Order: sequence, then C-alpha cells, then structure tokens
Amino acid sequence: MITRLRETCRRLLDQNKVQVVIGYGQRRPGAAAHPVFITRPEDVGQLTWGGNCFANLTVYLKRKEVKALGKAALVVKGCDERALVVLEKEAQVERGDLYVIGMACDGVHAPKCSACVVRTPRFADELIGEAGSAPGAASPAAPDLLDVLMAKPAAERWAFWKSEFSRCVKCYACRQVCPLCYCERCIVDKNRPVTIDTSASLKGNFAWHITRAFHLAARCVGCGECTRACPAGIPVGLLNRSLADTAKGNFGYAAGMDPAAEPVFGAWSSSDKEDFIR
Amino acid sequence: MSEAFEPKIVAYVCNWCTYLGADLAGTNRLEYPPNVRVLRLPCTGRIDFNLIVKAFEAGADAVLVSGCHPADCHYTSGNYHARRRWIVFRRLLETLGFEMERIHFTWISAAEGKKWQQVVTEITEKTRRLGPYTAYRDLCEAHQ
Amino acid sequence: MSPIISAAALRELIDVWIKSGKQVAAPVSIAGRLLYQRIDSSGQAVLDSALRPANSIKDFVFPRHERLFGYRIEGRQISLTDPKPEERDQIVIGAKPCDAHALPILDHVFAWGSNDEPYERGRRRTAIVALACTAHDDACFCTSVGSSPADETGADAMLFDLGNGSFELKAITAKGRTLFTQHAQPPATEPRPSGSAPAPRFDPAKIRAFLATQFESPFWAEGTLACLGCGACAYTCPTCHCFDIVDEGSAAEGARVRNWDSCQFPLFTAHASGHNPRSNQAQRQRQRMYHKFAIYPEKFGAILCTGCGNCARNCPAGLGVLGVLEAIDRQTIKTDERQPVQT
Repeated sequence: MITRLRETCRRLLDQNKVQVVIGYGQRRPGAAAHPVFITRPEDVGQLTWGGNCFANLTVYLKRKEVKALGKAALVVKGCDERALVVLEKEAQVERGDLYVIGMACDGVHAPKCSACVVRTPRFADELIGEAGSAPGAASPAAPDLLDVLMAKPAAERWAFWKSEFSRCVKCYACRQVCPLCYCERCIVDKNRPVTIDTSASLKGNFAWHITRAFHLAARCVGCGECTRACPAGIPVGLLNRSLADTAKGNFGYAAGMDPAAEPVFGAWSSSDKEDFIR
Repeated sequence: MSEAFEPKIVAYVCNWCTYLGADLAGTNRLEYPPNVRVLRLPCTGRIDFNLIVKAFEAGADAVLVSGCHPADCHYTSGNYHARRRWIVFRRLLETLGFEMERIHFTWISAAEGKKWQQVVTEITEKTRRLGPYTAYRDLCEAHQ
Repeated sequence: MSPIISAAALRELIDVWIKSGKQVAAPVSIAGRLLYQRIDSSGQAVLDSALRPANSIKDFVFPRHERLFGYRIEGRQISLTDPKPEERDQIVIGAKPCDAHALPILDHVFAWGSNDEPYERGRRRTAIVALACTAHDDACFCTSVGSSPADETGADAMLFDLGNGSFELKAITAKGRTLFTQHAQPPATEPRPSGSAPAPRFDPAKIRAFLATQFESPFWAEGTLACLGCGACAYTCPTCHCFDIVDEGSAAEGARVRNWDSCQFPLFTAHASGHNPRSNQAQRQRQRMYHKFAIYPEKFGAILCTGCGNCARNCPAGLGVLGVLEAIDRQTIKTDERQPVQT
C-alpha cells in the first residue's frame, strides 16, 4: 500500500494536479506517525502508512498556512473521512478543490477501532488497499467508560468530572486538533465581554468543556483525536460520544455518515419528543 | 438562628407566551412565591445553553425555561429549534452529573396565568426541599 | 559517601511532612499516565527513576491560575482585597532533574526589572527533592542543552535510585539538609548504578548559528506546518512562563487573575486595535525558538529549555520544540550567509 501511495502522490505532484500532499510520515522506526506536507515529487519517500497513523489529517484543512499552499491531496482513513462529509455539509471545503486518497484501514489500536464501520473510505478520489475481514486492530476490550459512568448516580458523575477537569490546563489541544472546531475566533477567546472564563479554574474548565461539547453536538465524528491530544489524560471525547448517542437515538443521525442527512440543529421535527417538558 | 433557605429560581421566558402568562397571573392577583427572577427573551429559540450554565454560575438553585406551545411560536418555529436543543443539552447535563431536578422546561401560553402560578409554586417548593445548589456554587468559588 | 534511605523510610518521611501541614507534590499515576500532583499520602507517590511525568513542576511555584487581587464595587466605592498568600512549606519530591533545573532558569526573568512577589513567595516556600534518572526515552534531550540525567542544579536534595529499594541521598542546599536532618541515615557502601544519558539530538552550535542568520528563512513556514497552535507544549514545558492577566467576575465583584498563556495561540500577540504582529504559525514558532535559544541566553545566560521532551511527547502533531530543533539541525543552509530579506 505504501508503494502505491507514494507513486500516486508522485504522479499528482509531477503533473501539478495538487500542490501539496498532506499525509503521514515517520522519522524513526517504532515511533508514531506524524503529519507531513509534501510539496516536491522527490520527497514522497517520506510518506508512510500503517497502524500508527493516528492523526486525523482533515484538521489541516482549517489551517490558513496549509490552505495557502494550494490544492491539496489528503490521506484519510475512513474515520477521518467522516469529518470531510461534515465539513462539506457546512460549506467549509469545496470537495472539488481536494484530492482525497482513501486508505483502507485495519485499525490503529484505539478503542474506537473495535466499533468501526468505515474501515474502507467511501468517497475517496483514489482508494488504496482493501480492509481485511479480521476485526479492526483495537485495544483489548475494556468496559465502556461511558456506560460505566451513566450507570452511576449523578453525584458520582459530578465528582468524576470535577476530578478530571481539575487537571485541565486550558491548553486547547482538544480544540485545535478537532477538524470541526474551525471558528476563526472561538467563543472562549471572546473578551468584549468575556463569555467563558479563560482561567484553568474549575468554573472556567467546566464552562469550556460544556461549550466545546455542545458546539460539537451532532457534529463530532468520533475520531478520538481530542482525547488522544489531551496532555492531562482527560477523556474529553466521552462527552462528545454521549451527545452523538443522543443524536442517533433521538434523530437517527450520525455525523459524517450520510452526506444527504439533515444536520440535527438546522432542522426540527414535530415528533421530537417532549416528555421532559411540562 | 440561621435564616431559612430561600431558593433562587431563574426563569428564562419568551416574551410572547410565558411572559404574558406571568403577567396574566399578576393581573388576576394569583399569588406565587417571590423567589423567581424572570428574564425575558424574544423567544425560547434565542436561548443559548450557556445562559442556563451562567444562571447556575451566578448562584441559581434552579432554572426554568418556558415558552410557547408547539405550533404557537410567535416566530413560527423558534420553540421547535429550542426543543431540539434542549433534548441534547439535557443529555449533556446528565452526563456531567448535574442535578436534573433543578432544571425545568415548560410550555406556558399567554392565557395560562394559572399554569404559571402552579409551575412557579411547585418549582420553588421542590427546590426548597432540595436545598441550595452547593455543588455548582462550590465549583465557582473554588478558585477564590 | 552520601547516606542512603530506604524507600519505606522515605515514604514514612513524606507522611511526616504531610501530617505536619506541609504541601507535598509528587509524580502520581492517573488516567494511564504520570503527572505531578499534590498528594495527601505517601502511597500516591510514584518514585520511579525510569519514568518522566507528562507535566512539569512549575505549577507549584507559578500556578496555572492565580488570583492577584479581588475587587468589589458598591455604588461609587471600589475596594481591593489582597489574596491571603499561601504560607505553608511545600516540598516537591521525585522531581526529574530537567524539572528542577528549570527553576533557577526561570528565576532570572521573574526578578528582571521588578521582583515578581507571587513567584518569589512560591520559590521561597518550596523545596525540591529531585530523583536522578536511570533511563530515558526518545523524546529526552537534556544532554543537548547542557544538562544531564543527574544534574543537581535547582535541587535542594537529590535521590539516586540504587535499584534495590533504596536511594542514595545527597543534600545540596541548606533547605535540603533541613528536610532530612531528623532522619538517621547509614552511609552508602556501594557506588550508585549509572543510567544511560540520551545521545545528542542536535548540535547546539548549529542551532545558534542558524538563528543568528536565518530569521527570514522559508524554513519557518515550511518546517512548522504541522503545528496546530495549541498550548500543550508550552503548558507542559518546565521553562515556558508567559502569562495573561485578566479581570474575571461581574460588575459588582471579581478578581484580577494571572493565567498561563501560550505563544502558539493565534491571539497571543493580538492588539486591541485588531493588529496582530504574529498572525501566522510560522512567525509564532519562529519567535518561540528565538526566545528559548537566542534571546533568553543573550539576556540571562541560560537556554530557556532543559531538554525534558514534554513538548514532543505531548504535541498532538508530533512536533514540539524538539521537532523544530531537529528540523533546523537537518537544514543544509550555509549558516554564515544571510538569507535575502523578503520585501
């Protein structure tokens, strides 16, 4: 697969069909793959592919420094590609301006892999490889933390999040690494007036994580990058997953799966449940 | 002797239905506890979830959100958008472990002065029994 | 020879410190990683010379969020209240040398021009008991910035893991001696095992030469594309110290607070006018390299980096300051020639 990937990218760059390839590279054997930006055909040897390609490269589509390089070819796994579907729906990318190279994936040893239904990218301009029939390479099965959490009484959940958020330093890695967090000026940076305290206090941290979760509600595609990026080990993606479950359960909606599906918050239905409304 | 706990209830209400309903309760001299602080907005569709969070940050012991019944929204569909938002936001609050007995949603029309009286009275008494929302307040004072 | 102390005796001593009302911080295993945190019992401390926490100890002397003063407005009356300063003694036990070494480096800037009282109070009340390293990973680069796995700079006392459930204990400062004087210690009889030091990752002279001439180089834009502009590197770095001062609260009362800030945030240099002199990531990354490897050394005689590697380990894009340093090291620009200035 790597050979075919490199040949494809060499061809694209040689023919000037794209000006940059956003893919995975690996400087040292055994290390995690990291994003590379190939602008010259002779550099395609830096491209790699494998079970250590964790990053969701669609995040780079929001970066003005990357946009300035010109038309891009983007290497995506099926989970990453879901973000593309949402970005296109929200008019953030012009699909014709992008050359999508889809990599069939057998998993990157993350918890999300055991439940993966998109091992083969669905909308790629070029698809490389075939996903094996073996289950996706996932971490060893552990009890689902979200299930465990929701089974506890509310006061214990509160104590859990208080303990987790006490470690948050407001580095915003969770925000920066998310392809769907693309606002040029995030609400937490608004200071005339301040809406959300920027401080890494419990109040400020709760306010931030509530906002982040809700602004991503029914838009998060579950790539898990936010949790991976958190330097304090906070399972921030749990909040996103909880809201994704609600969107699925109440509205049959899963972000990034069906390009024709109506986004949850642009629409409403007369049959939306109101058993909680008096 | 310590003062008895008086709950602070913050109510975000829409201008065209619930606010007028509350006004009707007033003109009909229907008595209800004075613990509610009413914040008037054009429509429930305008209510940002952060307003609910901020009410708790500011020391509210309970929050009420109320607007027009489905099909009666002055702006046609604001309340439908709000309803959808609330379905998801309630789940977020549940996941975080908020005390859901302190968050209330109602449809109260301009003609339902009696309902306003009933709802506010019941919420006040329920919140009085629950006590102050120390969990959220502790959070906000933690950095002092 | 220095005395030895058994792991059990050390934990007993930690519990004595905690019981006597001191604040104690140590590496703690939490959420599948090691993080420095305050502890309330010695059992929480992980004193492993082979592992390095994912954060730094600066939080204990330079908190991520600190109240400078409170205000209250009643009518036309404005009253200010000073916060009650924390006076308790504090001990950080099990600090890595690359964390301890950072504090004397930070001392320069916090005493530059005027003395930063909250920082100095934090430093005065805190003792650092470092634990020398016996292993390193591929993000460690202390030896490339003039330090080492057993660097004693910044430590009040140092522990050396003897690998047999005991540590060799070396008191370095008066503060360090006071911490351990109550403890009866038999002297060490064996020489301590030496751990491996990380091989050099880059040539510091090459970095200096590059910075001296390549301000306008296209390297800055090309080599930093992976950076997403978060603060994971800055906030886990032992030497990064930039901060933001904001007022928080309502019209009636609130506080002026100091929070950590990251030079990689897009709004770090945003002016009230709307102008932003560092409006793209290349400029921000460049500034950071100059700050750490050119400006700070020029001003204060110390590189603003101890080679701990947290930046590289925590960077979601696998970059970090180390990534940029290695990329500079790979450049083949003739560093004695200036790049033409772009007009």
